[in-house]
Amino acid sequence: MITYDEPDALASFADEFGITYPLLSDPDSIIIERFGILNTLVDPDDHPWYGIPFPGSYVLDSDGVIVAKFFEAELTLRANADQLLRAALGEPISIEPTPQIEEPTEVTVEATYDGEQLLPVVLRDLVVTLRVPEGQHLYGDPVPAGMVATSVALDADVPVVQRDAQFPPTREHRLSGTGEVLHVYDGDVHVRVPITYLSSEFFNDDGVDVATIRGTVTWQSCDDHVCHLPASHRFEIELPVGKHNLPEFVRGEGSTRMDFNKHFQQMTARRTGG
Amino acid sequence: MSSDAGGRVEPVVDASGVQLKTGLWRDSLGYVGPMQPGSGPRSNPLGWFPTGPEIGEMLPSISGASFDGTTVDVHLDREAGPAVVSFLRSAVW
Repeated sequence: MITYDEPDALASFADEFGITYPLLSDPDSIIIERFGILNTLVDPDDHPWYGIPFPGSYVLDSDGVIVAKFFEAELTLRANADQLLRAALGEPISIEPTPQIEEPTEVTVEATYDGEQLLPVVLRDLVVTLRVPEGQHLYGDPVPAGMVATSVALDADVPVVQRDAQFPPTREHRLSGTGEVLHVYDGDVHVRVPITYLSSEFFNDDGVDVATIRGTVTWQSCDDHVCHLPASHRFEIELPVGKHNLPEFVRGEGSTRMDFNKHFQQMTARRTGG
Repeated sequence: MSSDAGGRVEPVVDASGVQLKTGLWRDSLGYVGPMQPGSGPRSNPLGWFPTGPEIGEMLPSISGASFDGTTVDVHLDREAGPAVVSFLRSAVW
């Protein structure tokens, strides 16, 4: 992790939270600027804020090549650790499929949440799984004219911050008659929609609340001989809403070894010459 | 985003938000905080903003002092394994 904080501030932070991975101090934002992610929307005289990056994460493969990036225009939003690890290790999602007693003849849909609570700031995935019977396939983009691509859409009034649905890679399916190449899904198709919340309206002084997430899944399935009419499925899941995931001392409760205010004053003084 | 006279693309600040009371603002996504959206640490970009090296590129070298005084070199220290490198705004505020 890299920040523009002073080294001693990062040492205190590591001690406070038991961090053992490297925390690099970039107090003059040299690395930040070299990466081209200096937040130039902050006025250079606006201390101590000037020097911060547009925050985000790079995921590297074993060769040091970037395989994924997580950056958000809403600077408070974060990718969760599972998303980063999944991108780093190249593993598919770990949600276990529901055991099937008989082989289904129609597409079935299940909506789940990759977590225990809907928490603020940190994005976690709503996972919609479409189970496609053997011999059938669904369409991904680009979809042939007249056909319907697979899609997942949350209701407009769902009170969460959401990001674009993430689809797995399609496979090429070549029609034997025309030779046209289609981009299809088959088997279990997992579609991920990153969600979180930021509105304080979720906060409940009495404890956690419950958020109802509703949406529609749309698809069109075909086999080698016939295409079915487009179909859709409405889903609704209830998620317990975590009040927040801030440490107690940030909420004004409990105590801390790290003197945040001292470090804040120091970083401000260094930048203003005070 | 906007372009300057030399055609270089620059991000544009998102200053949308509502003041709830003195010293408290809510931005367009519902985040409530003590600073006005579009200022200081809440200088969020509206639309495009630079995110550095692209997927498929080698991460530029990064080396420096870690919090414990040891020297860190990302590409050496990951020992030919995958890694995650995160740039955050601050651990202090």
